[in-house]
Amino acid sequence: AMKAFHAFCVVLLIFGSVSEAKFDDFEDEEDIVEYDDNDFAEFEDVTEDSVTESPQRVITTEDDEDETTVELEGQDENQEGDFEDADTQEGDTESEPYDDEEFEGYEDKPDTSSSKNKDPITIVDVPAHLQNSWESYYLEILMVTGLLAYIMNYIIGKNKNSRLAQAWFNTHRELLESNFTLVGDDGTNKEATSTGKLNQENEHIYNLWCSGRVCCEGMLIQLRFLKRQDLLNVLARMMRPVSDQVQIKVTMNDEDMDTYVFAVGTRKALVRLQKEMQDLSEFCSDKPKSGAKYGLPDSLAILSEMGEVTEGMMDTKMVHFLTHYADKIESVHFSDQFSGPKIMQEEGQPLKLPDTKRTLLFTFNVPGSGNTYPKDMEALLPLMNMVIYSIDKAKKFRLNREGKQKADKNRARVEENFLKLTHVQRQEAAQSRREEKKRAEKERIMNEEDPEKQRRLEEAALRREQKKLEKKQMKMKQIKVKAM
Amino acid sequence: YKPPPSECNPALDDPTPDYMNLLGMIFSMCGLMLKLKWCAWVAVYCSFISFANSRSSEDTKQMMSSFMLSISAVVMSYLQNPQPMTPPW
Repeated sequence: AMKAFHAFCVVLLIFGSVSEAKFDDFEDEEDIVEYDDNDFAEFEDVTEDSVTESPQRVITTEDDEDETTVELEGQDENQEGDFEDADTQEGDTESEPYDDEEFEGYEDKPDTSSSKNKDPITIVDVPAHLQNSWESYYLEILMVTGLLAYIMNYIIGKNKNSRLAQAWFNTHRELLESNFTLVGDDGTNKEATSTGKLNQENEHIYNLWCSGRVCCEGMLIQLRFLKRQDLLNVLARMMRPVSDQVQIKVTMNDEDMDTYVFAVGTRKALVRLQKEMQDLSEFCSDKPKSGAKYGLPDSLAILSEMGEVTEGMMDTKMVHFLTHYADKIESVHFSDQFSGPKIMQEEGQPLKLPDTKRTLLFTFNVPGSGNTYPKDMEALLPLMNMVIYSIDKAKKFRLNREGKQKADKNRARVEENFLKLTHVQRQEAAQSRREEKKRAEKERIMNEEDPEKQRRLEEAALRREQKKLEKKQMKMKQIKVKAM
Repeated sequence: YKPPPSECNPALDDPTPDYMNLLGMIFSMCGLMLKLKWCAWVAVYCSFISFANSRSSEDTKQMMSSFMLSISAVVMSYLQNPQPMTPPW
C-alpha cells in the first residue's frame, strides 16, 4: 500500500507539472486542475524521502539491484493499477488514463519544475517485479537465446560431421571396394548384405564393416568425430584442441597370423595403451622404446614382445609409411592375443581367460586438430594403403623357430600366472558345482513316486559315493608310497 | 557377416547422456517442488544436452519424457508465479 501511495504521489507530481501547459486534457479532473506548484506543500508531511531523480529519466537496470527506474511509458499502465488501489483506499476521484504522447516533449520540464520546489520529493523506484515491460524478463530472454544458440550449433555440427563422413567415404570408397567384396554391412539383415553406405551410430560416430578379403575375417572402420553437435563440447574444445580419429580394427583369421604382440605409436598413446590393454600389459613388459634405431622419427615409439618381431615388422615400406605420415598416426597395434581393454571386475579375477582374437588395430588422427574440412579426408587415403599393406604383411610374416618357442613360452607363462591367481576361486567354483549336482540328484530321488525306483536310485547314489571314497583312499596311499 | 556389436561399451565409453538425463530430471523435480525458475531452465538445458549426446541405440521415449518433464517444470513455475526470474545470486 505504501508503494502504491508513493507511486500515486509521483504521478500527481507529473500531473501538476503538466497541467500548466495542457490545461484542456484535465477538464474532468477538478482535483488535479487545482493543483499547481504551491500545492506541492501538501506533500511535505506525506513524503519523507527526498527527490533524487526526475521521473522521466531512463536508467538501465543494474545487476545488483532489483529496483529500476522506470520509463514513463511503462509507468502508465502500472499507475492505473495503483490508482485502483488508491481509489479504494482513499476514496479519490476516478483516474483518467493519460496519453503517452503528452509526455514526449516534457523530458526537461519536470526537471525545472521540481528544482523550483522548496521541499524535495522522493521518487521511489518501482521494483522490477511490479513493472510490466519486456525488459524485466531479461533473464528469460537470455535463457531462450541460449537454447536457440544450442539448437543452431546442434544442426550445424551435425551437418558438418555428416559432410566429413561422406567426404571420407567418397575418397576411400574405390580402394575399399577393390579390396573387399562386402562393404558396409549394418547387421540389420540376417545375411550379410553390402549396403555401400556408412552406418551412422551417433551424431559423431560412423561405422563401416568391410569383409570378403583373403586373409582377414573382416575390417571395422569407425570414424570418431568430435562432438560438434554439442555446444558444451565445442566450448571445452576451445580450451584444448583434440583431433577427429579414424579407428580401424582388422580381425584376422587364425591361420593367417603368427603369434606376436607389437605396437607402434606416439609415446603418450603407447603408455596409455600399455596400461589399458590386456595383451600389451601382459606381453610387452618394457617401456616404449624409441624407434630411431629403425629410422622412425622421434615422435614414434615401439612396444614389442620380442626384438625379432620388431625387426620383422619394420621393413622399408613400413618405415616409409610411418615416417611420412607420422603426424597422422596415433597408434598401430598388432596382436594375436587381443581381448580389448582390461576388465575391472568386482569379484576379483574372472574365472576364465578372456577370449582373444588376432587383430590389427590402427588409430589415425585426422589432420586439422578439430578444424577439419572435407578435403582433409584425402590425406588419409595413403594410410588406408598402409592398412592393406599391413594385412598382407601380417599374413606373410612368420616367426622363425626361436621366435616361435619364445612366443609359446610367453603365452604359457601368462596362462600359468592366470591359473595360479584364480586357483582358489576355481576350486570353490568346482566345489559348488559338485554340491549342486548332489542336491539335484537327491531331489530327483525324492520326487520319484515309484518306491521301487526310489530305492534303486538311492542305492546307486550310495554305491557311487563309496567308489569315490575308495578312489580317494587309493590316491592317498599312492602318494604315501611315493613319498616313502 | 554381421558386424560385431559392442554390448557394454557404449555405457562405459561415454556416460554423458545418462548423467544429463538424470540431472535434468532432478532439476525439473526441484524446480516443480521448490518453485525455483532457474532449476526448471537448467533442467531444459540438461535435457537438450542429453539429447545431443545420445547414442542412436538409445530409447527416444526416455529422452522425450525427460524433455517433457523439464518443459512442464518451466511452464508450471511461470503459471504459479508470473514474475520474471530473479538471478539466484
